[in-house]
Amino acid sequence: MALVVDPQGNEIRALQRVTDWRGKHVLEIGSGNGRVTLRLAALGARKIHALDPDAELIQQARQNLPKLHARRIEYQVAHAEHLMHPSETFDIVLSSWAL
Amino acid sequence: MVHVLHEAHRVLKPGGILIDLRPAPHHRRVGLGAGTRWQLVGVMRDTFDDDHAADEAVKRVLREGLFRSEPPFEFKVDRVMDTLDDFRAWITEFVQQGGFPPHDWLVQRVERAHAKRDPRTKIVVRGPLRLRVMSKQPP
Repeated sequence: MALVVDPQGNEIRALQRVTDWRGKHVLEIGSGNGRVTLRLAALGARKIHALDPDAELIQQARQNLPKLHARRIEYQVAHAEHLMHPSETFDIVLSSWAL
Repeated sequence: MVHVLHEAHRVLKPGGILIDLRPAPHHRRVGLGAGTRWQLVGVMRDTFDDDHAADEAVKRVLREGLFRSEPPFEFKVDRVMDTLDDFRAWITEFVQQGGFPPHDWLVQRVERAHAKRDPRTKIVVRGPLRLRVMSKQPP
């Protein structure tokens, strides 16, 4: 399906406006196919853990992951109600269309 | 949803922020043409029960003192589709996932409007997103 979301880049500008992402450790909840995740990487996040309960979407995200960002992005099939991460791990948690 | 917010609070470092990004509770508008040439064809009949539930969950954790919220703001986001088939596939999935009533009437309206245009005319669904930043508060 040829679908382009936000060709004007309003979303990335809004995310850039609210905080400085450079060097930050980020948890993204509801990463889907990684559309927003890649934008966070472009904003300079140091490490991104991206979760989604949909295994098919996570598979798509992994397939679309550029080598450039491969070390900084980790996709995982998971539900956000019970996170496996230790307390006080992340600088930023982004709930991406997940609530 | 409250569990998710509690977990987000737990895994955030002191002083960390939670960003809640999701569609704003406005009916999505479907039109033809991109940018300033966009013309409205129809307005979707989506419902906002999930949004209201999410808002209630956010209010609860704010009341609990887990986060301090900055005022949310909205911004425009377009979803641009090249063909009618793309639009049919998108709206089918959207309606199924959201549990919304069938939108066959809207598909037919878009098909009729599209037939009068250049076949390369794009189908554009407009609906704003809402973004809220919440700072983690100490226990």
